Amino acid sequence: MASEYAIESAGLIKIYRSRWKRREVRAVDDISLRVPRRTIFGLLGPNGAGKTTFVKLLLSAVHPTSGSALLFGRDARDPEARRPIGYLPENHRFPTYFTGHGMLDFYSALSGLDPVRRKKLIPELLELVGLGQWGAVRIGKYSKGMLQRLGLAQALIHSPSLLILDEPTDGVDPVGRRQIREILTRFEEQGVTIFINSHLLAEVETFCRDVAILHKGKVALSGKMRELTAGKGYRLTVLNTPETLADNLVEQLRAQATSAASRDGVIDFQFPTRESANQAVDLLRAQRCEIEALSPTTSTLEDVFVRTVENGGR
Amino acid sequence: MATIALIRDTFREAFARKIFWGLFGLSAAMILFFLFLLKIDLVEGGMATLSLFGQSTNRIADADRLIRGIYAGIATFLYTWGMFLSVFASAGLIPSVLEPGRIELLLSKPVSRTHILLGRYLGNILVISTNVVFLVLSVWTILGIKSGIWSPSFLIAIATTIFIFAVMLAVVVFVGVLFESAALATMISIALMVISAILAQTATMLRLLSSEWSRQLWRSLYYVLPKIWDVGRITLNAIQDRKFDDYVAVWSSALFAAIVLAGALRIFSKRDF
Repeated sequence: MASEYAIESAGLIKIYRSRWKRREVRAVDDISLRVPRRTIFGLLGPNGAGKTTFVKLLLSAVHPTSGSALLFGRDARDPEARRPIGYLPENHRFPTYFTGHGMLDFYSALSGLDPVRRKKLIPELLELVGLGQWGAVRIGKYSKGMLQRLGLAQALIHSPSLLILDEPTDGVDPVGRRQIREILTRFEEQGVTIFINSHLLAEVETFCRDVAILHKGKVALSGKMRELTAGKGYRLTVLNTPETLADNLVEQLRAQATSAASRDGVIDFQFPTRESANQAVDLLRAQRCEIEALSPTTSTLEDVFVRTVENGGR
Repeated sequence: MATIALIRDTFREAFARKIFWGLFGLSAAMILFFLFLLKIDLVEGGMATLSLFGQSTNRIADADRLIRGIYAGIATFLYTWGMFLSVFASAGLIPSVLEPGRIELLLSKPVSRTHILLGRYLGNILVISTNVVFLVLSVWTILGIKSGIWSPSFLIAIATTIFIFAVMLAVVVFVGVLFESAALATMISIALMVISAILAQTATMLRLLSSEWSRQLWRSLYYVLPKIWDVGRITLNAIQDRKFDDYVAVWSSALFAAIVLAGALRIFSKRDF
């Protein structure tokens, strides 16, 4: 029976050992992760967190020290497991002797597309990524953004069920980014699972449904994007003048708040719960202080990311 | 389909790096050189010389021997220089595939690592083979037309040159996979060719070496390493229609290539990229 997960890893560990110095680096440290089918999944993490190694383990470009990785229920080490995968690597270096057409022809042949389908699909894919006029041009003449779009076409041409994209919009201008997002949305609607490894948090936030944050080779946080960024507290904005807000009251509020920031004659206090926000309101009103505003706040993915990384993945 | 794609890719890269056309140009230059030699009537001059010494009664047999001698000389030249040029030309085609940013994409395809490396190996052999066939067939045709003597045994040079190139390419692949260095792959391959020429003097050396262990070492090296020189000698014997029945050089070189290639495949399969 086909697995309900596009990607499953269990206790995946990758230790790089230096040949001479006997030094060990645990690039991936016991990662167990499940990516359901038909979702857009974002993998985040600071530099050196193990994101690229994890992706390479999925593609069998790197061999695991222990643990397992499955793609649609099939051992990732089996070449056939990679047939339904489209991959766009980070820092790709496509041979510059290819034309756009030739490159798509080569990689789609390796993916098992027969010549008749290749002949039909290559112009369509070039058109899809906005390179319809560039098929006959050597890719040595392409800009970085064009190469990125060609790489995407290469990943899409054999109609994969799982797209693994490492920094897909790297080097692409804003218009191109939007085009790429639209293309990926179209493929998502067709039921393609999309796994994105990106450092562009805003992009992941707007695009991904599920997310995992890696830190020092471990999964520090994972879950639904909506849940991770929703309903995280209340912001209380208070007029800040010596007549209205005594110093000892500010200190008292600071002690209860998760953060406090002064700006333009007001102080913003951030409270983690409704109760603590209400207690602060009671305290301020008892002192006849002026409240400018009280509003619920949601965390941005950046907040979640920074908090997770600063807490050392705890 | 993947195999054909990998072979086509090797040809494409050989074209782009000017390797294919470089070898083709050198082959064409060599053919032009032979045409020039024939223009100054090398063959007819040789035949006239035979008549001059009163051997005209057996003119056809002598001419045949002369032509075979010319063929043998040409074959030796092609075999030696062709080998050097081919190793130089193809040494970069293996490490280039292993470049970061390129290998990851290849490995992400539903093709085994063994298939990728063997596809590349086969592509390389075919690039060189195309040139060897072009060169040998052209020289054979030119000499045949000029002399009227068609010696098919000359064509064995195609097989032996490609065979010994395949053996050397196994070394290039092994070094390329292990160190990702085209320069090192070339150096080691050329060193092996030189060592092979020295080791081929086994009979003489075994007489000269004083201690038993050094003779044993010499013998071991001789049997373990590819016998480029000896395979060349087999080619000459075949062209000159001399009897030979010692195929040790062929099968031991083939065995060496198989072991080295298996080692390269093993290293490639185990490596992290």
